[in-house]
Amino acid sequence: MFSNIITIARRSIQQLVRDRRTIALIIVVPLVIASLIGVSLPNKAVLNQTLPALLAVLILFFGFLLSGISFLRERSQGTRERLMASPVSRGDIIFGYLLGFLLFAILQTLVLFFYTVYIIKIDFMGDLWQIIIFQILIGILAVCLGIFLSAFARNEFQMVQFIPLIIIPQVFICGVLFPVNTQPEWLQWIAKFLPLTYGVDGIKAMMLEGKGLLDIGKEIAVLASYAVVLMALAGISLRRGHVA
Amino acid sequence: MNITAIEIKNLSFNYGKLKVIDDVSLEIAKGISFGLLGSNGAGKTTLIRLMVGLLKPKTGSVFCLGKPPSPATARNIGYMPQLPSLYSELTVYQNIDFFARIYGLRAHNTRNQRVDEVIKLVDLWPKKNVSVSQLSGGMKQRVSLACAIVHNPPLLFLDEPTVGLDPELRVHFWEYFGNLTAAGHTLIVSSHTMDDAAHCQKLIFMREGKVIALGTPDELRGAVGKPNTTLEDAFLYFIRHGEVKSHVQ
Repeated sequence: MFSNIITIARRSIQQLVRDRRTIALIIVVPLVIASLIGVSLPNKAVLNQTLPALLAVLILFFGFLLSGISFLRERSQGTRERLMASPVSRGDIIFGYLLGFLLFAILQTLVLFFYTVYIIKIDFMGDLWQIIIFQILIGILAVCLGIFLSAFARNEFQMVQFIPLIIIPQVFICGVLFPVNTQPEWLQWIAKFLPLTYGVDGIKAMMLEGKGLLDIGKEIAVLASYAVVLMALAGISLRRGHVA
Repeated sequence: MNITAIEIKNLSFNYGKLKVIDDVSLEIAKGISFGLLGSNGAGKTTLIRLMVGLLKPKTGSVFCLGKPPSPATARNIGYMPQLPSLYSELTVYQNIDFFARIYGLRAHNTRNQRVDEVIKLVDLWPKKNVSVSQLSGGMKQRVSLACAIVHNPPLLFLDEPTVGLDPELRVHFWEYFGNLTAAGHTLIVSSHTMDDAAHCQKLIFMREGKVIALGTPDELRGAVGKPNTTLEDAFLYFIRHGEVKSHVQ
């Protein structure tokens, strides 16, 4: 099983590496967005307060987009059918993709984080590597979300429509721009069920209050649970015997 | 020793209310090339997907090499889908190498040797390190075939393998298929051209999800009862005369 996971991860990495334009976009686009945020929020205090939450959003957004579209292409170009007729299991495919995309999600996360810390020069508290580990957890969630939702799209255009449906509402509801407790009660209730709420709470606690991973156990547990459930659901969507 | 590669009993399948496979029963012996012939929408691809295990029967059963299709039986199967189904960013070599790994060719030297061998077999050696996206349709078909045969499976499903191939390459493919059956491999080939049908040792004519005739090309031609009958004439004869497969079984 493990060798199949490595084989699939290796292939998904090979695919992205050979697509140089995509690689360039993976690195450049988050930096452009981070720069725009940095320039548009010249007040350092506001920037320091806002950027940690926006980092969580960007990691979720780019990870979701990358994994969702890549996984969807597996179906649209017919290779999923071929894989499902082979001896690989659903777990091999899901974990293989997770591993492959995770490397790119980590790359994006690191580039984005170091850029905001060393170039935009935001002030933050907390341990750098613990913050990075938490961001990687958000990246894992993003990859799982992308793989799961790709099951509901038939083409890239439909996949992109999930951004205004899944990502943007979370930006408004989950405390990225305004604290959750300033919103109407029913929106606060919805926010409790959205993963980005825990991503934002966790990253703010670490970067603004100097807390460590051990202090944000609840956020880590919720994000990890979301990732596991989404992976299980993605596995169900890949059932052998249901490839049409 | 089991001499049956595929055993299908009372198989039916529908997409929603649309019945695509209608009470098909069939036995395919090992070591032959078996053709599924029919016009577009006759149910050939769905039947192959059911045999491979990509679809589950609504009723009836499929046994592939003596067992219901599963990841365990998949190791002994090669499957070439109707569309090339390749990773377009990867090179010819990388695509074939990926499927070689997936099908368990782990030893580096053996795998390299086998991948090189099939690239030469499908006559793409000069394109070995070229991206699939830069290949013509016929070349992609060849890469797709190479991915299906790289693990040397005893049972091979080829869904319209000759679509888009020029006549010379079509002959080349059928020569290779002949070599495979001579070596004891079983080939199940779908097509809608009678040219392909003539190369099969045994075949079925399909229409609206049903098997309307089963036999060798000679048996099917003979069932029409007229001299110089072509397979195309035989196909039209069976379509016009409904389900008369008992004539040739």
